[in-house]
Amino acid sequence: MARGGGNRSRLLLVLLLVSSLFLITLDLRGVNLAGSIRSGVSTVISPVENLFSKLLSPIGNLASDVRNFGQSKKKIAELSKQVDELKAKQIIDEDTVGQLNQLKNVLDLAGRGGYKVVAARVINRGSTESFKETLTIDVGSSDGISRNMTVISESGLVGVIKSVGSNSSIVLLMSDPTFKIGVRIAGTQSIGVVSGQGGSTYLLQLLDATGEIKVGDTLVARGSQGGRPFVPGVPVGTVTTVQSNASSITQNADVTSSTNLEKLSIVAVVITPPNGDPRDSLVPKPRPTATVYITPSPTPTPSR
Amino acid sequence: MSQIRVINTSLFLLLTFLIQESVIARINFPLGGFSLYIAVLMIVLSLEDRTGSLVFGFIGGLILDLSPAAQSPFGQWALAMTFIGYLFSVNRETVGDFNDRPIAFISLISFGAAVSMITFLVIGVLLGQNNGGVLRNLTLIFTNSFWTFLIVPIFIPITLKIRKLLLTNRERV
Repeated sequence: MARGGGNRSRLLLVLLLVSSLFLITLDLRGVNLAGSIRSGVSTVISPVENLFSKLLSPIGNLASDVRNFGQSKKKIAELSKQVDELKAKQIIDEDTVGQLNQLKNVLDLAGRGGYKVVAARVINRGSTESFKETLTIDVGSSDGISRNMTVISESGLVGVIKSVGSNSSIVLLMSDPTFKIGVRIAGTQSIGVVSGQGGSTYLLQLLDATGEIKVGDTLVARGSQGGRPFVPGVPVGTVTTVQSNASSITQNADVTSSTNLEKLSIVAVVITPPNGDPRDSLVPKPRPTATVYITPSPTPTPSR
Repeated sequence: MSQIRVINTSLFLLLTFLIQESVIARINFPLGGFSLYIAVLMIVLSLEDRTGSLVFGFIGGLILDLSPAAQSPFGQWALAMTFIGYLFSVNRETVGDFNDRPIAFISLISFGAAVSMITFLVIGVLLGQNNGGVLRNLTLIFTNSFWTFLIVPIFIPITLKIRKLLLTNRERV
C-alpha cells in the first residue's frame, strides 16, 4: 500500500516536472502562451492597483522616506515652505499639486525635445520574485502605447515599455541589470554604453578609445533606429567616478541616473520621436553663478 | 485529495497572488522586498501530504508565472515550485507544525522561500537568462527571507484558519 502510494507520488512528480519543462520549451520556442494570459492578468489587476495606489501611497513611500531622511532634510525644509504657501493659496490637495508639477516638468522636457508623449501615473512596482526592476503605469494599448517605447520623467530617462495591457503597461527600469542604452557624452561626440546594476549606480563603458570621461559629464541617449526603444537626446545620467584601469580596453565610469527611480509618481511615454536629434538641448543648464568684481577705491594721494 | 479542495486552494492562492501584486508590491521594503505569496505558498506546501505538496507546488508556480512583471518563460516558476513541493514532501515531518515548534516552523518557511528563489535563479541560469549580479540577487533573497521571518508569524494563524475552512468534511476528520 505504502509502496503503491510512493510510486504514485513519484509518477506525479515526474509528470509535473515534464509538464513544467514542456511549458518552458513551448514558451522558448515562441508559442506565446504567457503573453495573452499575463496581459489578461494585468488588465484584471490594474483597476485594483489604481485603487490601492490612491489609498496606500503614503505607506508605500514610508520606507524610502526613512532611508532618505538625511538627504531629504533640506528638501523637507523647502517642502515645508511650499506647504505654507499652498495653505495660503487655499489649495487643499498637496499630493495633486505635486503631481501637477511633475506633469508640467515632464511635459516641458518633452516639449523641448520635440517628443509627442502620453503622460502616465505610476501605480505599482514590480514584485521581488520577478528579479526585475519594473514599474506599472496606468496607460496601455487603448492610449496608443506599444512595446519598446521610451519612458521619461521630469529629469530624464526612466526605462522602456516591456509589456502592454489594455489599460496598464510594465516599464523595465534603467536600473535593471539587463538594461543597456547607447549614450553620448553631452558636448562631445564620444559614445558609450550605460548598463543598469540593479541599484542606484550605473556603469558607463566608453566605446571611443580616444575619448575622455570627466567627473560631472552629462550623458544623453544616442537614440535608436526609428526612435525605438530609445529616442535621442534624453538625459540619462551624470558621471560620478572615473575608473582608471590600465589593463582595460574601454574606459569605464560610475554614473548616477538623472531620475530618482524610487520617487516616481508621474512619467511620460514617448509615442512619437522627434523629427531631428535635439542634441544637448535637454541637458540641464548649470545654475548661473553671480560674479562680483570689486574695484578698490583709489588710495588718496597726500596733497602737497 | 478531493478535486474541490484543489479548486478551493488554487483560488485562495490566486487571491493571495492578486493581493501580492496589487498591494504588497507597492511597499518599498528596505534593501529588497517581501513576497507574501511565496510565504503563503510555503505554508500551504508545509501542511500538505506528499501528493498535495507536489500538486500545489505546481499550481502555485503556475500562478506565479502569471505575474505581468515576469520576463521569464512561462513554466519556470512551476518547475521551481514543483521541486520545492517535492523537498517539502520529503522533509516536512522532521520539523513539526506551527503549534509544536513555532520558531522552527517559521524558519522552515523563510528557508523554503529562499530556496525557491535560488531554484528559480538556477533554472534561469540553465536557460541562459540574465537575472543580474550574484550579490544583488543574494541580497534580494536574503532580504525576502528576513522579512518573511519577521512578517509571516502574523499571517500563519490566518492562513491556518483559511486552510482549515478549505478542507472537506472528510479531510477534517
